[in-house]
Amino acid sequence: MAPVIDARGLTHEYPDGTIAIRDVTLSIEQGERVAVVGANGSGKSTLQLALGGLVDPSAGTVEYFGETTDAEAVRDRLGVLLQDPNDYLFNTTVREDLEYGPAQLGMARDVANERIERLAADLGLRDLLDRPPFRLSGGEKQRAAVASVLAFEPDVLLLDEPFGAVDAHYRECILELVADHEGTVLLFTPSLDVVPELVERVIVVGRDGSVVADGPVRDILTDRALLADNGLRPPATVQLFEGILDTAELPLTVADAREYLLNEEQ
Amino acid sequence: MTGVVGRSVESITAALRSVFTAERVAATDGFLQRRDPRVSLCSLAGLALAVMITRTLGVTLLFGVLTVVLAWLSAVPLRRLLARSTIVPLASALVVLPQAVLLPGDALVRGFGLAVTDAGVAYVVLFTLRVGVGVALLSLLVMTTPFSAVVAAMRNLRLPVALVWVVAITYRYLFLFFDELQRLILARNSRTTGRSSVRDGWRDARRIAGTFLLRTLDRGERVGRGMRARGGARPPSPYGRSRAVDRYDYALIAVAAAAVVGSGVGRWLL
Repeated sequence: MAPVIDARGLTHEYPDGTIAIRDVTLSIEQGERVAVVGANGSGKSTLQLALGGLVDPSAGTVEYFGETTDAEAVRDRLGVLLQDPNDYLFNTTVREDLEYGPAQLGMARDVANERIERLAADLGLRDLLDRPPFRLSGGEKQRAAVASVLAFEPDVLLLDEPFGAVDAHYRECILELVADHEGTVLLFTPSLDVVPELVERVIVVGRDGSVVADGPVRDILTDRALLADNGLRPPATVQLFEGILDTAELPLTVADAREYLLNEEQ
Repeated sequence: MTGVVGRSVESITAALRSVFTAERVAATDGFLQRRDPRVSLCSLAGLALAVMITRTLGVTLLFGVLTVVLAWLSAVPLRRLLARSTIVPLASALVVLPQAVLLPGDALVRGFGLAVTDAGVAYVVLFTLRVGVGVALLSLLVMTTPFSAVVAAMRNLRLPVALVWVVAITYRYLFLFFDELQRLILARNSRTTGRSSVRDGWRDARRIAGTFLLRTLDRGERVGRGMRARGGARPPSPYGRSRAVDRYDYALIAVAAAAVVGSGVGRWLL
C-alpha cells in the first residue's frame, strides 16, 4: 500500500530568509502513529503546514495516498490542527465552527450532527456550542479546535500541540480520542511526556530544520545525547529511572513506571 | 494604551467586535428566528433596499417603526440593536455633513461666511436616517439568523458564488480584525502604567497602528490556513437551516415586496 504521506526533499524558506525546514524526506504509512519532535523554532509547525498542504514549500514535493500531490484534492482526508486555536475558530459560534469542516467537505448533515454532539459531550463543549469562540478560555478554545478537526473524520490527523492550555482532565480526553482514531496520526510537539502514550515512531527535527533522527519511540526517547543536542529532554519517567535500569527496561510512561514499581514490590 | 484616546478605541473595538457575533439572540424564540432564513434574508434585505430607495422622511420613519416592531417581536433588545446600528450612520453623517452648507436653500444659521440651509439639513438628516434604518434592518437579520444560515440561504437562492464568498470572508475577517485589535490593546495595556494625556494617547495610537496592520495581515494569513485546512478553498457551503415556509413567511415577503415597489413608485412620482 502506498504511504499516506510521502515527502521528498522538502525545504521551506520564509521571505525574510529564514529556512524553517531543510531537505526533509519522510514517509508515513497508513495507520502509523508518529511524533515529530523538536525544540522551539526547529520548524515543526512549518513542516506540519507543508505536509498538510497549507504552505507551498520552496522545494520538494508531498504525495498523498500515492495518488496526488494536490492537498486540496484530498482535503477531506487530511485533518490539520493548527498550533493556535485562535486561527482555527473564525465563525460566530462554536457550533458553526464545528460544522464548518463537515459542511465544506460534504459530510451528510445528520452524520455530522451526531459526530458533533458526541465530540461536544466528550470534550465538555455542550454548554459552549452557542457561544462566540472569542469568549472561551484558552483551554476551551483548544478543545473546540480539536473537536473541529475531528468532526469531519479525516483519515490522517496532523496535530500541532493539541494539548496546549488544556487541563489534565481534558488532556486525557483528547489523548483518548486521538488514541481511538482509526487512521494515521502525526503529532507535532516539543513535549515528550505524552509521546509514548500515543505513538510508536518518533522523528526528531534539529535546530536547523532538518530531520536528524527517525526511529522507534524507545530508541529515540532513551537517547539522552540525541535529545540534548536537539534541545529536548527525555520523558520524566525515563529521567527518573536512568542509571537504575537498562535502557531497554526504562519505563516511558507513568503507567509503565507504576507497573515496574508494583512488580518490584512483589 | 491609556487616556481618552486609548479608552475610546478600546470601547469602540469591544462594541464592534460584539457586532460581528451572533451571540444568543439568534438562539432565542421570536418572530424572525422562526422564519425560514431565505425569507428573512430576502425580506429584510428588501426592506433595507426600500429604505435606500425612498426620499421621504415620513416613509423612512415608517420603516424605522417597522424595524422596531420586528425587533420587539423577535425579542431583540432595542438597546443592543441601537448599539449595533449607530456607528455606520454616524460615520456616513460625517461624510455628508458638508451638504448642510453646500445645498442651496433658506438659510437657518449663518457664520464664518457659510450658511446652513434647510434643504442641506433635511438632506443630512434624511440620508443619516436612511442609512441608520437600513443598517438596523441588516443588523436584525444577523442578530436573529445564525451567520452560517444566512450564507446557506444565499447559496440556496443561487446568488453568485463569488458574492457569497465575499460576504462570508468579509464578515469573518471583520470579526477577526476587531478581535486582533482588542488583543493588541490588551497586550499594550498590560505593559502601560500611569495616566497619559490626549496627545500621548494619539502618539500611542500611531505607534500601534503599524503593528496592528502587520498583525492583522499575519492573522489573516493564519486564519486563511485554518479555513483551507477544513475545506475553505471550496465555495462556502454551510448547512442550511431551512424551515417549512408558513403564512407569516409569505406575509413578511409580501410586506417587503410591497415596500420595494412602493418606495420605487414613490421615488419615481416625486
